[in-house]
Amino acid sequence: MIGQPRMVVTGLGVVDANAWGASEAADSFAHPDPRPIAVDRSSGYHRKNGSSQALLVDTTPQSNWLSPLAARRMSAVSRFAVCAAKMAIKDAGLDPGAIGSETAVVVSTAYGAANISEQILRQSFLDGPTALSPALFTESVASAPAAQIALNCGARGANVTVTQSQAGPAVALVQSLNELRTGRSERVLIAAADEMTPLMHAILDRFLALARPDDHGAERARPFDRDRTGWLAAEGATVAVLELESTARDRGAPILAEVMAAGNAFDPWSPRSGWSRNPGTLARSLSRFLRENDRTPADIDILVSGACGHRGADRLDGGLLTTIWQGAVLPPVLAPAAVSGAHGGSLLAGSILAASGKDFGPTPGFENADPELGVVPHDGRKLPSPDCVLLTTCAAGGAAGWALFGQGDRCN
Amino acid sequence: MKPDCRIVVTGIGAVSAYGWGVDSLRDGLMSGSTAIGVPTVFDTSEHRTHLAGEVPPVPQPLRSSIRGWDALSRADQFAVAAADEAIRESGLEIRGAPCGVFFGGSTAGMLECEEWYSRLIGARPGRPRLRLLASQQLNGPGDAVARHQRVTGPVQSVSSACASAGLAVGAAVEAIRNRSVDIALAGGSDSLCQLTYGGFNSLRSVDAEPCRPFKLDRAGLSLGEGAGVLVLESLDHAHNRRARPLAEVLGYGASCDAHHMTAPHPQGDGILRASEIALADAGLRPDEVTFINSHGTGTTHNDPAECRAYQRLFDSHLAMIPVTATKASIGHVLGAAGALEAVATVLAFRDSVIHPSPGEQPGDAELGIDLVVGSARRLEGRPVALSTNLAFGGANVAIVMQSWAGSGS
Repeated sequence: MIGQPRMVVTGLGVVDANAWGASEAADSFAHPDPRPIAVDRSSGYHRKNGSSQALLVDTTPQSNWLSPLAARRMSAVSRFAVCAAKMAIKDAGLDPGAIGSETAVVVSTAYGAANISEQILRQSFLDGPTALSPALFTESVASAPAAQIALNCGARGANVTVTQSQAGPAVALVQSLNELRTGRSERVLIAAADEMTPLMHAILDRFLALARPDDHGAERARPFDRDRTGWLAAEGATVAVLELESTARDRGAPILAEVMAAGNAFDPWSPRSGWSRNPGTLARSLSRFLRENDRTPADIDILVSGACGHRGADRLDGGLLTTIWQGAVLPPVLAPAAVSGAHGGSLLAGSILAASGKDFGPTPGFENADPELGVVPHDGRKLPSPDCVLLTTCAAGGAAGWALFGQGDRCN
Repeated sequence: MKPDCRIVVTGIGAVSAYGWGVDSLRDGLMSGSTAIGVPTVFDTSEHRTHLAGEVPPVPQPLRSSIRGWDALSRADQFAVAAADEAIRESGLEIRGAPCGVFFGGSTAGMLECEEWYSRLIGARPGRPRLRLLASQQLNGPGDAVARHQRVTGPVQSVSSACASAGLAVGAAVEAIRNRSVDIALAGGSDSLCQLTYGGFNSLRSVDAEPCRPFKLDRAGLSLGEGAGVLVLESLDHAHNRRARPLAEVLGYGASCDAHHMTAPHPQGDGILRASEIALADAGLRPDEVTFINSHGTGTTHNDPAECRAYQRLFDSHLAMIPVTATKASIGHVLGAAGALEAVATVLAFRDSVIHPSPGEQPGDAELGIDLVVGSARRLEGRPVALSTNLAFGGANVAIVMQSWAGSGS
């Protein structure tokens, strides 16, 4: 907003199926080649002929960031988050030993430590509740990744875990900007982190949320495509260091992007576990957000959409954009979920990298425009140097969020 | 810098082990007897302990008054009922108003998820029907409130273990201060479930008897369930519609111990810092606080650490501050604790009395606090309360509130 202090991203850490680090993540968006792998279906949770693949993290590089001793006490999602946080701190040029009480941690997660929660329930139901491991329980809370980041990085500021499904990263941005704007924190480690377990995969598949295998057995996300069948389940974590521009300048930090504003809203007419067919309510909220931040659709150079390949989700995401643009040509529409799968970290990393001027390749899986949507995602052409990137994401159940990013160079 | 936007509470709603509604909570708290008993929501016979603060069955008229009741998870039901009550008391019409929902919780629809999973793995008979998972996600209760009240503004669910609802209140305060909304429904909801019941028992943190925070023979916590909701609005907004404020939220603070996953910092560093930030936000000195609604779980680690923080914050003034521990009455409501404790604080303001901790035994003298026991304590003047919550993973939150009655504001 006008008159507000400017807030910038000075460091980025990414852990996902394509990348261990921000530069690898940027490469994966520039040259997209998502390679989902088989999910363990041996527990028998899955339905027959359903989805069987996901974009899962190869944990081999983990020991570069986390000792086996520390890692053994953590869930997968906490390990991803802590590794990404350490990367972001290093990327920001911060002294890891001097994080302290001025640093808040704000984490968005949809499912938390799903594997640990399942282990606890399994022990409880099959072996009896007295068989439960106390070590497991402490990691089962949704806030464990945020707590582990704080513990491992020494962040003693506010520690907040936001759980707002697909809208979580945008809501975490709202919380983070408030921390900085009010002077409560000097910097924020903002994260989006999730793990994908066989049980979560099976549940999503039972809800018909996931991409189904095509004739060749391939599962692709295909955002905005006419023949999309669902999203690619995925896991990973993205952590960004957010600071006031003045603080970053004072210490001569590299500035990757500016976070100009973030907002969120709700559509109470949305089905509880699905997406509304009518984008009107959210479009009015997004219009208001743009107006309050002195932006019009014409000011947006790049769109980063939460579109993931789900029929209902993309219908709402697409409808939101076409309603706002009112028939005008959309700016390039990026759909990070097509590259690194549907998880919050993908959206957060994609937005920051887009704002920092990175190249994005053609949207994998997209072949034919859906005439109902009228949205054609990015085809790989050279992107404009962005003054303003708009992130939009709509969650199942009615929540939605958005954020405006500016290019980092402008701040230097 | 003290914010220029004053925020008031104009409605409260509660669901607790004492029953459905604020009146049940008030009567129960003032009775001095605990609501912690033998739960029926699941079988505890194989657990190490067998008590909890379980919410009694919903009255039929209330059940009939809320559409889609049976499709809601237990935690969603608590949330929707408490929000309904709070809005009714506030006299607001939410639909179409610039309103947001800020909600804390730690398990959401886990109870129903457990039913589904136990059927899935064959531990219980029956088909694992997907509808049991419809509110499994942690944003379930907040979304349910927003859907039920037709809220189109921001909805933010916070799941930071036992600090969740306190942090949600903080987020609501910030949203009003920065004019994102005029009205906020701030609260939290959690239901009992086997994951937390078994988990806390595995940590040996649960007392076999009803919990006795700050008392000499304390031996752990008691779990509970329920929801608390506050209607928050800017003072201008409340005045413009001639609403009667119940209390004012003066400030909040948050911090993290970054010390241990389950144990608080032994010197209370984190909660001390959160309290200092909250008081600075409120523009108050520690000696202006007139009572404390403590986190007070009754565990070996929590109570001494929390009291150490109070000793450091208030120094000799601590002896003059009555301390209450709501969890002794209704159990530890986890992610909703901060919300129900905030409601209890507003009730103390409204009725000018602090509820007692159940039982006649005084507080542990070594802790150095003035625990309210036996009978209610009168509050004089226009009291200021500090309400605190400490969570797994070291998250801390503190809220400073002041009574509205008699202020002439």
